[in-house]
Amino acid sequence: MNSKFAKKYRYLAYLLIAPSITIVTLFLIYPSLESLYLSFFRSTPFGNRQMYVGFENFQRLLTSPAYWNSLIRSIVFTAVTVFISIASALILAVVTNKKIRGAKIYKSLLIWPFAFSFAFSGIIWGVLMHPNVGLMSYYIQLITTLEFNWINNGTAAFTLIIIASSWRMLGYNFIFFIAALQNVSPTLLEAADIDGASPFTKFWRITFPLISPITFFLLIMNTLQVFFLTFGVVDVLTQGGPARATDIVTYKLFRDAFLSMRTGYASAQSIILFVFVAVITVIQFKYAGEKVFYQ
Amino acid sequence: MLKKTITILILVTLFALSAGMVSAQTIELEFWHAMSGGRTAAVQKIVDGFNAEHPNINVTAQFTGSYAETLTQGISAVRSGNPPHIIQVYEVGTQTMLDSEAIVPVYEIAEGKIDFGSVIQPILNYYSIDGKLYSMPFNSSTAMLYYNKDAFEAAGIKEAPDTWADIEKMGMQIIDSGAANHGLSFGWPAWILEQMHAYHNQPYANNNNGRSGRATEVYLNRDFAKMVLSSWTDMVEKGVIAYGGREYSANQDFLAGEVAMLIQSTSSLSSIMETADFEVGTTFLPRFEGYGIGNSVIGGASLWVMQGHSDQEYAAVVEFFDYLSSTDVTIQWHKDTGYFPATNAAVKTLMDNRWFSDNPNYLTAFLQVLSGVQSPAANGVLLGNFVEIRDIVDTAVEEAFTGVSSAEEALNKADSQADKVLQDYTELFDN
Repeated sequence: MNSKFAKKYRYLAYLLIAPSITIVTLFLIYPSLESLYLSFFRSTPFGNRQMYVGFENFQRLLTSPAYWNSLIRSIVFTAVTVFISIASALILAVVTNKKIRGAKIYKSLLIWPFAFSFAFSGIIWGVLMHPNVGLMSYYIQLITTLEFNWINNGTAAFTLIIIASSWRMLGYNFIFFIAALQNVSPTLLEAADIDGASPFTKFWRITFPLISPITFFLLIMNTLQVFFLTFGVVDVLTQGGPARATDIVTYKLFRDAFLSMRTGYASAQSIILFVFVAVITVIQFKYAGEKVFYQ
Repeated sequence: MLKKTITILILVTLFALSAGMVSAQTIELEFWHAMSGGRTAAVQKIVDGFNAEHPNINVTAQFTGSYAETLTQGISAVRSGNPPHIIQVYEVGTQTMLDSEAIVPVYEIAEGKIDFGSVIQPILNYYSIDGKLYSMPFNSSTAMLYYNKDAFEAAGIKEAPDTWADIEKMGMQIIDSGAANHGLSFGWPAWILEQMHAYHNQPYANNNNGRSGRATEVYLNRDFAKMVLSSWTDMVEKGVIAYGGREYSANQDFLAGEVAMLIQSTSSLSSIMETADFEVGTTFLPRFEGYGIGNSVIGGASLWVMQGHSDQEYAAVVEFFDYLSSTDVTIQWHKDTGYFPATNAAVKTLMDNRWFSDNPNYLTAFLQVLSGVQSPAANGVLLGNFVEIRDIVDTAVEEAFTGVSSAEEALNKADSQADKVLQDYTELFDN
């Protein structure tokens, strides 16, 4: 960089980043500090009575069976959802990446779910799988004679939010995999063909390692999105129920903050979540930088 | 030249207009409410009617989302020092509002101007502490039993159920005859448990149900609560009760003919009557035999007046409330939404116009609340952080129904959690 240029426009640079800095300070840094402050207090909903409680909120959270239930369920939910959505997106991407009739149509259709919000995905699956009037649950019951009643069965409810969230993430993962697969050099695959490699070996030994940076990137992005953004699915479908079976951390946070209005307790939860995001982000920066390469 | 003249003319006109507006001294009132769907229009109709009759007052009704969202926004507005004049708050927010130090009790500003003697007793009592009315009753409802007359007929049942024993017996008959897959479903499980307490004159919490002082202890671990939840759980195991979710999702089960009976808020009456493709009957809530007689509890929401406005504006608020409780408006609101007509005069007019005899289902819940007794236990409970306690109890009911734990264990756990919530809440007011 030309130092003369840098010197001349030093103030311009500050001016140019000023809007972003202002926004970040106003909407991210200030509220985070405010949360940290509030997490040491207990207060009435209107904030007219407030008492300093030290680390009570954190201590209660970490000793609360309800919070651990919520954390464990969130982690299981995230792990299963991320696995299902990445695995199925990869399978579908490999299948549609072949020269088959109508590949473009399939591709477009498979990308669609990403256009919906999580809440919308929840509504669609809620209607399809409604225990009494849902079309899909009707056929499931007809074929398997199993009743999939997610309103009064915790396991069914948990399964349903996994399905709705995985479906929503499918399109996102699918786009990335399609792009990655098209970057896999055909010469390598042809060489393998000449050596007599089976399609499975070709995929496992050549394609999969070559697209692994994308897989890793998707793993991180999916984990973040599923962990933090699936609130919508839970809010429209189960509200954390039945009997706390789908009480993921983001929903619990919302309930404690905006329904029960326990500002301090909810702030403590947001601080814990903040640490979570920080850890995942650090992992992403540390490893993604090493492994992703751009051709 | 012409251009200049026109400009001057426009400016002068504008000035005159604005001066005219100032001299008329319109009092602006802001009214935040949570009435969604068709009810938004019903609120607007009331406000428009009021504004037309009162040229010097302009009420602006603002839909601010769900009850919880409306309250959250109200709190933010109070904290930033710019509250609206009137906020609609759901019944579980009553204690929060009483403790907010941000409200003006309705009795203080309306004393001698509105005759609250005409308001139906149970409604008046729910929103009164020590006989003083703190918020203006607006949309009041209660729970009642809906039943599918066609399914009852198909199962060969002639009369409506009176007791939970009847529910079980008739439920089995309905299942056996194939008239429906299950007997009964209900929404708002924690609210129905509260209803059962009040309906049998059993207190739900100490300090006179939280009405003579802040409640510090709930009675979920007492025999009555356990008896109720165990009998329900028993019926769930027998297939008589099918749990239908926390709010209104059970309505769909009832409308689809999956269950033949439904316990739900009266606010669902209009939509159920419109949608059902069978004959809908309604009756009082079922009782447990051998327990006291109380009353069903009022649900819904009321209007709270916020601090920080001028006397003149409060006088306008009283005018608005007076208009709300006028007979015509009360009747219009009742017919538009299915909420209770809240005054005696409105009930008389409705009766004189044969509304109740033509629509007997609109009378059921009304007779139910009027025929009960008035006592702290029957008037319903007031709790600090009631929203959270409702959630705790909903969870307990779900745990019992889904077999996560027994009814007794679930209630013991809920009881200690709820007591902790109350303790946390009352501690804030100790110093």
